[in-house]
Amino acid sequence: MRINRRAGTLFLLIFACILLFVIALAGEALSKPAELADFARKNLPPCLAHPFGTDWMGRDMLARTVAGLSLSIRVGALTAVLSGGIALLLGTVSAICGPWVDALVSWIIDLVLGIPHILLIILVSLACGQGFWGVIAGVALTHWPSLARLVRGEVLQLKQATFLRAARRLGVSRGRVLRTHLLPHLLPQLFTGLILQFPHAILHEAGITFLGFGLSPERPAIGVILEESMGYLAAGRWWLALFPGLSLVLVVMLFAAAGERLRLLLTPASAQE
Amino acid sequence: MRRKFLLSALLALTLLASCGRRNEGQFTSEPGMSKPLTVVMDPNSEPESGFDPAFGWGAGEHVHEPLIQSTLTVTNPDLTIGYDLATGMEVSQDGLTWTVKIRDDVKFTDGEPLTAWDVAFTYNTVKKTSSVNDFTMLDRAETVNDYTVVFHMTRPFSIWPYTMAIVGILPEHAYDPATYGSHPIGSGRYVLKQWDRGQQVILEYNPDYYGPQPRMEQVNILFMEEDAAFLAVQAGQADLAYTSATYSDRSVSGFSLLSVRTVDNRGINLPVWLSSIDEHGTVVGNEFTWDPAARRAINIGIDRQAMIDHVLNGYGTPAYSVCDGLPWYSPVNEVEYDLEGAKALLEEAGWRIGPSGHREKDGMTAWITIYYAAGDSVRQGIAAELANQLNELSIRADVEGVSWNEAYSAALSAPLVWGWGAHTPMELYNIYHTEIYGDLANTARYSPYSNERADTLMDAALACTDLEESYALWQQAQEEIAGDVPWVWLVNVDHLYWVRDGLAVAEQKIHPHGHGWSIVNNVDQWSWE
Repeated sequence: MRINRRAGTLFLLIFACILLFVIALAGEALSKPAELADFARKNLPPCLAHPFGTDWMGRDMLARTVAGLSLSIRVGALTAVLSGGIALLLGTVSAICGPWVDALVSWIIDLVLGIPHILLIILVSLACGQGFWGVIAGVALTHWPSLARLVRGEVLQLKQATFLRAARRLGVSRGRVLRTHLLPHLLPQLFTGLILQFPHAILHEAGITFLGFGLSPERPAIGVILEESMGYLAAGRWWLALFPGLSLVLVVMLFAAAGERLRLLLTPASAQE
Repeated sequence: MRRKFLLSALLALTLLASCGRRNEGQFTSEPGMSKPLTVVMDPNSEPESGFDPAFGWGAGEHVHEPLIQSTLTVTNPDLTIGYDLATGMEVSQDGLTWTVKIRDDVKFTDGEPLTAWDVAFTYNTVKKTSSVNDFTMLDRAETVNDYTVVFHMTRPFSIWPYTMAIVGILPEHAYDPATYGSHPIGSGRYVLKQWDRGQQVILEYNPDYYGPQPRMEQVNILFMEEDAAFLAVQAGQADLAYTSATYSDRSVSGFSLLSVRTVDNRGINLPVWLSSIDEHGTVVGNEFTWDPAARRAINIGIDRQAMIDHVLNGYGTPAYSVCDGLPWYSPVNEVEYDLEGAKALLEEAGWRIGPSGHREKDGMTAWITIYYAAGDSVRQGIAAELANQLNELSIRADVEGVSWNEAYSAALSAPLVWGWGAHTPMELYNIYHTEIYGDLANTARYSPYSNERADTLMDAALACTDLEESYALWQQAQEEIAGDVPWVWLVNVDHLYWVRDGLAVAEQKIHPHGHGWSIVNNVDQWSWE
């Protein structure tokens, strides 16, 4: 069977999604072993029994890494959905509710974009009491503006499209126009934006946890693992940082690749290539 | 891209160049002086408010000798009391008046003589300003003549000499609270020559010092994180640097590992009360540790040596009290590790292994959560190891890290991993004595517990007019408390240092809690071989 590029792209997309899903599930199953301290096997370099080595409390780094990635993926998914929702709402409202609302929303977008990301995330996360929900709120509330701007532009453009104006003239109700004519055209952009939001969210989660403003230090989050490993690098325990760090990069790249494939498939201009 | 690369290369070069320059300046000494000594401490050891005894220098949680200032008394290597400025002291029969005579040959480094006026001024000042030490027992200090000072107390306080050992004497004529911290004038063994905040402190010997001439003429103290300290040792940039068990299995050529015995202990509190909810909505007490058999079983069921081997790589000693090895320590606290005995105790008390694999009694599971201060890897390791060992006893133990904000209230209803160890018996009082006022007026300060007979003994120890006698009373109080097991002491953490070959570090007294300035208490007696 000849695999054309479209099928290849689809295959890659499905593969990335399944892998991420498996990691997310495996992490949940591994959450107990990830916390298990066994001092009889502390500080082991990578070996067959512990491919990622063990840390100074004898915790298996592979279990900890997978559990951490799983947590990251869940944080990523939740924040992407939340910020995507905010973006869709504000973007659409901005585009169809008249110049006043448009000016207001654009102003808010500029405001949020104007403050350095990491600073705002730390502030929101602290205000929400840190922890899992603090991180989610922090990342979700800071990552909607660029997507909202995209949605707004798209809606403004669609509003001028002939088929939409024709529908309005034919007396189709506003709600129906929104549902049957606007949303279907909007979704590809939104989906791609959503998926591309994932790697951002994960990196930010790891980032602020690393800085100590995020998840609590018991949770096997990647940020926590990397932060802990810093103290042991000079003692020669390179495996504590290398494998979790690499895995984080890989997951982020997987998400980015999945988003890119999805964009290729959904955008009419490139869908048939 | 290319430009970025160039930019970062340039940046790296500048950084390297500036590092080199700093190093040059750091190690120069004046001609004719002995080789300067470079000591690395952790960044938290840098005194935030400077070298002002009124703002915590030398005192507080991590006590040490103030070096720049003199003190009235000192603690001897065996932690009994010796004299520095003082030549004699007397306490009245009611314990309310201390009369201290001081040397008449002491000068501040600005040439002014040190008199009883300076001493009285110092104590009246620290009573007003010290935020790290309790001076409520002092009413006021007065001068009788130029070389005699009298302390009027609000209550008898037999261990006042231990307080006198940590208060550096300020010069009344040259004390301005705003500037003294960064430009201290004292009469001690060393003079502060330079202080670059966040980086280093340079101490130079005081040529007019009244005691034996310091052998180490210049001491540079650098403040670095643990990993940076290790790298500095590897690069040969330090002569002595603090380190931890993490690095103890490494070796560095030209350096050896020095392990100093400490009373820097770690232990857990076991709430002695049945749980209830107080008026603030805080849970006080614990259903499991309320049972004396449970507390005793935990005390003898812990393999302290295994904990030391696992968590501290062998660098520690088993702890049985908050004051192991100090003159007021009672050996009654020592227990043998006896796993079977611990199991038998639990069985006897009705805690039988249930279907879940954990012990149960009257439908209640033997279940505790062990809290520790998040971010402290040693305490985290101890908590995890403790949980593992409690599992051997079929007690369910969870481990949770909390911030210090939450830790104190968590400890009212669950074990928390604490670190103590000070050079004063007052710590026994602070931990075990029932509070007299405040929110927790009927319990000890940190964990629900109260023992009237122990309180009486500790009160008697404080009211005693003879130190030796007071030690005996402190010991009796511990014997009284030992049966209740309101705390279980686990390990004393050895303080580890990398020491350059050829540097002779003078004998150390048992280090207190805090891995900082204690090591340089007697730096004046160190020498190069």
